Amino acid sequence: MITFALALDIFTQLSFWVSVGVLAGTYGIFACGLQLNVGFTGVVNFGQAGFMAIGAYTMGIAVVELGWSFWAALPVAVLVAMAAGLLIGLSSLRLRADYFAIVTLAFAEIVRYTAINARDLTGGNQGLIGFDGDWARLSGGIQEALAPVGLDGEFLLPLLLVTWTTLVLLVLSLRWAQGSPWGRVLRAIREDEDAARALGKNAFAYKLQSIAIAAGIAAIAGFFHALNLSLLTPNSFEPLFTFLGYAVLVLGGLASYTAVAAGAVVLWTLLEATRLLELPLPAEKVAALRFMIVGLILIVLMALRPQGAFGKREEMVLGD
Amino acid sequence: MTRQATSEASAERAREDDERSLLVVRDVYRSFGGLRAVDGASLDVRAGSITALIGPNGAGKTTLFNLMTGFERADAGEITLEGRPIARKPPHTIARLGMVRTFQLTKALAAMPVLDNILLAAPDQPGERLSNLLLRHRRCRQRELAIRERALELLDSFDLRPQADAYAGTLSGGQRKLLELARALMAEPRILLLDEPMAGINPTLGRRLLAHMRELRSAGTTFLFIEHDMDVVMGEADRVIVMALGKVIADGTPDAVRSDTRVIDAYLGGTP
Repeated sequence: MITFALALDIFTQLSFWVSVGVLAGTYGIFACGLQLNVGFTGVVNFGQAGFMAIGAYTMGIAVVELGWSFWAALPVAVLVAMAAGLLIGLSSLRLRADYFAIVTLAFAEIVRYTAINARDLTGGNQGLIGFDGDWARLSGGIQEALAPVGLDGEFLLPLLLVTWTTLVLLVLSLRWAQGSPWGRVLRAIREDEDAARALGKNAFAYKLQSIAIAAGIAAIAGFFHALNLSLLTPNSFEPLFTFLGYAVLVLGGLASYTAVAAGAVVLWTLLEATRLLELPLPAEKVAALRFMIVGLILIVLMALRPQGAFGKREEMVLGD
Repeated sequence: MTRQATSEASAERAREDDERSLLVVRDVYRSFGGLRAVDGASLDVRAGSITALIGPNGAGKTTLFNLMTGFERADAGEITLEGRPIARKPPHTIARLGMVRTFQLTKALAAMPVLDNILLAAPDQPGERLSNLLLRHRRCRQRELAIRERALELLDSFDLRPQADAYAGTLSGGQRKLLELARALMAEPRILLLDEPMAGINPTLGRRLLAHMRELRSAGTTFLFIEHDMDVVMGEADRVIVMALGKVIADGTPDAVRSDTRVIDAYLGGTP
């Protein structure tokens, strides 16, 4: 008989929640872009990890190879990712939704393989380091400021604070945009593109905006991902990142930005807690089991609450 | 009167006719593979008229609607709206030029509230552009208040006001048809194209829909509608256009069309 145990005391440890928080915040930002595309425009984007890679690598290359300041590189990297989104959209958004999804997936893989092979720029599989000096200084400053409250022991805490501040601001601005007439047109396109066109809305232009904004958001997630790892390697931008983003979306619920943040916390609590499973098995078997357990929990959650934690059931049922 | 003067006078009359034509279709073709769905169709829709488009199934009526509204592109031929060529224009541009359509299978935006369905159709909402939302926020809000008032009026007149906040997907089939009509009216069209507006709705709602149509026509809106209910066609339309096998085979007043032998052979059938 297998003894099945989980060290419960980890849930009371700050370091556990800080690392869950950074991952959840990063994936939450990432999945906000997916929510804009999938939940509010009806555009299926499987290439979000590719846009994230373009943003992160643009920042990394600008800082390491070109000697730019980290802070100057950030807005430029967001714009480059948005330009990539426009390019993909202009060339492929006229395709039917499922074909477009395949194109974006292929695009993300092209980006990743380019990063593997353009060694002079990206360092290939060895990775790119040394882009986070400016951040380390700011992070050190925040840590010092936290010293009086005794929180300076957690070196990831500053990253957590900045990640979640960004996520909260992002959720607030996206909610505001969604409640505007602009957001209304996006939803109409999600519901029925032809109806929107018959009422004078240029559906293509709106879908382009949606994908470009999502790509910019992916770039921002890419910065936090890079700062968390202190390293840029192509394998951190695998399609799996996009699919975990979709898991966040489904867990939290479609057509809500708050849901994305909640879904990210749930998913990463599950993933990180199961990492600490204590089983009488070899380590690699435990690692495999971890994803099986998380998968099982996801299936049960979806069976109990198909609209996700915060999704609107009506919008799902009435969808088509 | 000389012969030249007579021909000049008739040319003048023809020009006047053209001027009164809001929508003109000339020799339009559209094939799907080997099937000639629209095979050289020509027609005129006069400004301020209620014009019916009838014909057997497969005559090309809906395809012609799609061609006129930009959802399909004609292989050949010309279409003009108020004198402007529109045959190569995309649907949203044609809608903004003042020709708005509904669909045979209603396209209620199901997972959106009824009120939002109507608000969506409002022309000139600057808030539909992100740049205006950021830079001209006040104007967007003011416009939103104005169109909200108009939308609620429309919902009132279609008896949909109690459902304003419900999802459109919860409405009955007949209510969806009314919603689609109300939404099209919100767009303030010069001409409204209705694809089988009476299909699938109960007679009471149908009568109300027709009453709206007459009322709007007297306010200046032009109607072109596809319909199979001959009582409605003959009772409501000023002019009837008959299509068969992709061509327009007759065009005239309901009485003239009813007694046209080609129309009887192709569509009406039997003895009148």
